[in-house]
Amino acid sequence: MISAIEIRNLRFKYPDGKDALCGVSFSIADGECVGLVGPNGSGKSTLLLHLNGILPEKYPATPNVVIYGRPMSETTAADIRRDVGLLFQDPDDQLFCPTVFEDVAFGPQQFGLNEEQVRNTVAKALEQTALLGSENRSPHHLSSGEKRRVCLAGVLACEPRVLALDEPTSNLDPRGKRSLIKTLKSIPATKIIATHDLEMVVELCSRTIILDQGAIIADGPTNQLLGDEQLMLAHGLEKPHILRHIHPH
Amino acid sequence: MRHDFLDRYSRLDSPIHRLPTTVKLFGTLCVVASSVSVSFAHFWFFIIVAGLLLILSALTSIPWKFIFGRLILLEPFALGIAVMALFQENGAMVFLSILVKSSLCLFTVILLSNTTPFSKLLQTMKRLGVPRLLVTILALLYRYLFVLIDEAERLNRARASRTFSSNRRKKWHMLASLIGQLFVRSTERAERIYAAMTARGWK
Repeated sequence: MISAIEIRNLRFKYPDGKDALCGVSFSIADGECVGLVGPNGSGKSTLLLHLNGILPEKYPATPNVVIYGRPMSETTAADIRRDVGLLFQDPDDQLFCPTVFEDVAFGPQQFGLNEEQVRNTVAKALEQTALLGSENRSPHHLSSGEKRRVCLAGVLACEPRVLALDEPTSNLDPRGKRSLIKTLKSIPATKIIATHDLEMVVELCSRTIILDQGAIIADGPTNQLLGDEQLMLAHGLEKPHILRHIHPH
Repeated sequence: MRHDFLDRYSRLDSPIHRLPTTVKLFGTLCVVASSVSVSFAHFWFFIIVAGLLLILSALTSIPWKFIFGRLILLEPFALGIAVMALFQENGAMVFLSILVKSSLCLFTVILLSNTTPFSKLLQTMKRLGVPRLLVTILALLYRYLFVLIDEAERLNRARASRTFSSNRRKKWHMLASLIGQLFVRSTERAERIYAAMTARGWK
């Protein structure tokens, strides 16, 4: 069976010379939900930007990112972008249209759907994110939680097979966080979630990858990894509260 | 942060607000184009236009104080040029002409922007065949104006909370670095926005 995401020995250096990723390899199966955790600056966001070809600026001759069997290259990048939906860290970066409707419709319009198809897709995405009725509001009038949900709706409207989420719960109040987790649970796509919110990882992801200084430190079942206090502390993390009273052995 | 200083009344309900956007857009273009091109010697023309605008604004139920406040706020930009005209031959007449013409144009634009939500204006422009790139740039401008103002306000607040002297020279120095900081942040944000656009299929 083809894996959804396959990363082979991925390296990336920022123009200022900082090594962001130094030889990362892993693969994620179709339908899997994987947590990507690690301290600040460990390369989580950089890794996600590689999943739909925003980075690097020039693709290498031997492809190191393969999405559903398709290697990333100049010719496949556009199609792969359709398969991989990326949720950015700052909602203001992602909401660039004057109204909610137009923003959610942006992706489908780029893919060349006709007007009626666009309307249906948008309605479906807004329903999934509990935003029906907000179509004509402007992004600068929305609360942080609503902004995040509109961003997610904009990504869902592209009907991606892989969802790559960068800090989806940052800046959200507990209620906003709960409803986001509920929405994410209801989406069957393959998910990779970069976050510091370890409680959410425990709740959503069966598998976790720990990244530090651009390298994979550990890759395995969430409860086993996050329950390992020594490992967590060594990489700027901590054992989440939910796991305090569960002994993995 | 108040996000409605530009178009606070654009979502009211009045006969003028309900007019089709196309009509309002063309009306505005006509008034602006004719005020600029009609010779100031036809003084009656400008009186009629002014009267018309006053009637229209009475119909919109936007407070007069707001409209004239905006006008006074924006007029100095045109006034700067008008004052320059005073130094030439027959300067008084030219001064008056620039003053009247610019006020009428501003008045019209204030009315348009406060009777029509900006997103509707953009949609209409798109439908009327205004180049897509231009509409996109306008949309981004309107969208990120508010983000930029918020950002500036946050920077300024952070600066103020750690400023303990009232040395004016230092203050100006700070202001300069604040503007520079804002510029750097905006270019970085522009890069992230572009990434977000490509991520959803923008070509």
